[in-house]
Amino acid sequence: MLAPTLQEKLAAILPPQALLTTPEDTKPYECDGLTLFRELPAAVVLPETEAQIVAILKACRAAGVPVVARGAGTGLSGGAMPHKDGVVLSTAKLRKILSIDPLARTAVVQPGVRNLAISEAAAAHGLYYAPDPSSQIACTIGGNVAENAGGVHCLKYGLTVHNVRRVRVVTIDGEVIETGGDALDSAGYDLLALVVGSEGLLAVITEVTVKLTPKPQQAQVALAAFDSVEKAGAAVSAVIGAGIVPGGLEMMDQAATRAVEAFVHADYPLDAAAILLVESDGTVDEVAAEMAEIRRVLTEAGATEIRVSKDEAQRLLFWSGRKAAFPAAGRISPDYYCIDGTIPRKALPRVLRQIDAWSAEYGLRVANVFHAGDGNLHPLILYDGNAPGEAEKTIEFGDRILELCIEVGGTVTGEHGVGVEKLKGTCVQFTATELLRFHDVKAAFDVDGLLNPGKAVPTLARCAEFGRMHVHGGQIPHPDIPRF
Amino acid sequence: MPHDATVRERPAADAVATLVARLVADYGERAVTNAVVCEQHGHGEGLADPAPPDVVVYPRTTDEVAAIMRLCHAARVPVIPFGVGTSLEGHVAALYGGVCLDFSAMNRIVEVNADDLDCRVEAGVTREQLNADLKGTGLFFPIDPGANATIGGMASTRASGTNAVRYGTMRENVLGLTVVTADGRIVRTGGRARKSAAGYDLTRLFVGQEGTLGIITEVQLRLYGVPEAISAAVCQFADLRAAVHTVITAMQHGIPVARIELLDDVQMRACIAYSKLDRFEARPTLFFEFHGTAAGVAEQARMMEGIALEHGGSAFHWATAPEERSKLWKARHNAWYAALSLRPGCMGFSTDACVPISRLADCILETREDVAASGLVCPIVGHVGDGNFHLLVLYDPRDAAERAGAEALAKRVSLRAIRMGGTCTGEHGVGIHKLDALVAEHGEPAVAVMRAIKRALDPHDILNPGKTVPAAP
Repeated sequence: MLAPTLQEKLAAILPPQALLTTPEDTKPYECDGLTLFRELPAAVVLPETEAQIVAILKACRAAGVPVVARGAGTGLSGGAMPHKDGVVLSTAKLRKILSIDPLARTAVVQPGVRNLAISEAAAAHGLYYAPDPSSQIACTIGGNVAENAGGVHCLKYGLTVHNVRRVRVVTIDGEVIETGGDALDSAGYDLLALVVGSEGLLAVITEVTVKLTPKPQQAQVALAAFDSVEKAGAAVSAVIGAGIVPGGLEMMDQAATRAVEAFVHADYPLDAAAILLVESDGTVDEVAAEMAEIRRVLTEAGATEIRVSKDEAQRLLFWSGRKAAFPAAGRISPDYYCIDGTIPRKALPRVLRQIDAWSAEYGLRVANVFHAGDGNLHPLILYDGNAPGEAEKTIEFGDRILELCIEVGGTVTGEHGVGVEKLKGTCVQFTATELLRFHDVKAAFDVDGLLNPGKAVPTLARCAEFGRMHVHGGQIPHPDIPRF
Repeated sequence: MPHDATVRERPAADAVATLVARLVADYGERAVTNAVVCEQHGHGEGLADPAPPDVVVYPRTTDEVAAIMRLCHAARVPVIPFGVGTSLEGHVAALYGGVCLDFSAMNRIVEVNADDLDCRVEAGVTREQLNADLKGTGLFFPIDPGANATIGGMASTRASGTNAVRYGTMRENVLGLTVVTADGRIVRTGGRARKSAAGYDLTRLFVGQEGTLGIITEVQLRLYGVPEAISAAVCQFADLRAAVHTVITAMQHGIPVARIELLDDVQMRACIAYSKLDRFEARPTLFFEFHGTAAGVAEQARMMEGIALEHGGSAFHWATAPEERSKLWKARHNAWYAALSLRPGCMGFSTDACVPISRLADCILETREDVAASGLVCPIVGHVGDGNFHLLVLYDPRDAAERAGAEALAKRVSLRAIRMGGTCTGEHGVGIHKLDALVAEHGEPAVAVMRAIKRALDPHDILNPGKTVPAAP
């Protein structure tokens, strides 16, 4: 329930159809792509201008009401899950591409613009926006910035943080701030990097200047089959170790290729224990030379079969299977749970072996797809939410995978964000000193904690509670913080 | 004193004396109060307005830095980190005295992970030391600001340099850090994983903070495979406009040039005399370097030469042999000293404007007219592939009016870049000289957030006070 005074204020800011307060109207906003967690908000607002956003934030700030920003709701960690007493601020109506500067290779867009729409608009200039999360047909650039989204091409072209030049944001106090700049760098503290990946905790994004990348003259992908997952993992290191920076370097295990093949017919070798997709892009000569080198390295690494795409249609076909992996998993299992850990590449064989062992131990199937080039794993744990105890087992299995990722020097989330899902993992990954610095940063932007409360950065008390339950190797996490 | 309440004052003399005595007791000959040493540590390069610290300490470990930090925190005495003192913006000046931490004894290469293309080094390792150590691994660290700066200093100032157009700046190449906070705690940010969406990006917050939020003691860096082939070429133009438009066209075509450096006619005249570049004329000139496979390099160079010829450039002078290449780049790196030799007895400082490439021609040509009107001698060099150029402003230190004119010119360059959607500093940082420009660039609300971050991470304003973020108006 929204306090009547706040409701009045919001009604004065927005047209009636842009302020939703009944459960029937707010229901579609109860969760994002992580459907395990749901909550109905007190209200949903759909502003069309930055001025409205400023006014909404000032009103919520004055009323002490939480605000959760939301793009397309495709997030996988619950970052856009509503707060029950709060307002969901949807950027769905802010979807104009404001300008494209083909010479500077930048585009200025509103936050509700879809990721793929930017590339479509830039195509006329021979340019595109490089980060390509699998949800790119639906997800918005505002959400991409909030989550620091990646994609299959970020090995070579970087994450969102590497591809955003400037962001315009509104703070909870209603101040409009621009961070970054149109040039290569800007002066002072890197507030832009803080906002990118801040999961809506620091400010609400109202405009984004993205960097555009020239479309390569030529792109080819090699599909390599291996008779063991470990060999495929070692081949990944061999490719990188040979000094090759592929446009994309993806791996799928047999469970994943079989699921996908039934769905999109990407023509994958189904008897292979694992496949790699290795893309080369650049000028025609460069691609020819690099592809020859890739072939050599993959052959030496024990590939049982290598196919190189002959034309653009075949290249897209090879990629279609990888991009459809999640929906395909949804077809072979009632439910699946996607993990997002990232590890140093050389730990790959060890982590895969362990996941395999746990899969047997829990009796839960796992389909592995991942951005192997940057060590970002996406094991999909297949389970049946209706089978008693299976969801709990799945969560425990997932937590163990994430803790293993931290143990080998990695992180609990490569690209999906912490949201509500990985708060526990965050307690394990970061020291109390680092968490305190996070809270310092948060306080500099939002001292009352009204923006997306309860997400992304756990309170120390929460970590302490978790620490009580979870003693790792006889070590209590955060021994230096007060217990109760 | 809270950071934004007033301009800071020097700490009480007795507090400093007690602290210095303690440091001398703890660190022996690694805590130096000798006036000459303090004087050396009180300034970088560029505008010389030295401000010596009270003591210079040479820590050997992160734990020692943390212990020193705790003492300074308790005594409320400023701490200023010092690499090799090549900063151009007054970053190392001890404006309020205090403790200078010289990182020359923390120069170990902690680990090199060839398989993962990364390494971890202590803050005092220099760029050339790292690359010498990497010889034989097939890897290199590309960021090259010219000076043989320390990695810690480069991370602190978010340095870039001649090949940022291909490899990015320190922002893109620092994977993680060990930082000592104002109260002497040790934080490790980032890590070896190539990407992380967990927590705020403290790594990038500490990259470019100029020692004002924490003291960087170790840096995890991204490394690159040494390219199979490298070639360099030089091309000369009749006028500056043609040279700049050549760059813009090349960028538009997406040619992945590793470096493109612009030297104007004044700078070329200086370099020809200083570095004996007899083959060249004193005309606007572009230096190129291409990295890649043998085929790729040949193809890039062919495309680049085609574009240059269309803009009236000379045929390429090639330098494929390593000695010849290094002679060229040495000449480029010595541009600063060459420029100073144009007016013996004069001093110089550098501007650091960086604009979107679509505004580069406007910005450089307007600046050139501004220089002509000012009557000053100011050669132009630029890492123009990324829109960054420097005016080397020469002035006579005995002539107060000339110095004032030089500083006014530099300020106009900063504001011009900002007006064109760019920045007052592409790579040198804010330091003490660009505090006003920071506000002009980002606006007071954004600077207020920076100030709030400073206050949160350094409540007593002991970390390199007076730099990077201006006091509240």
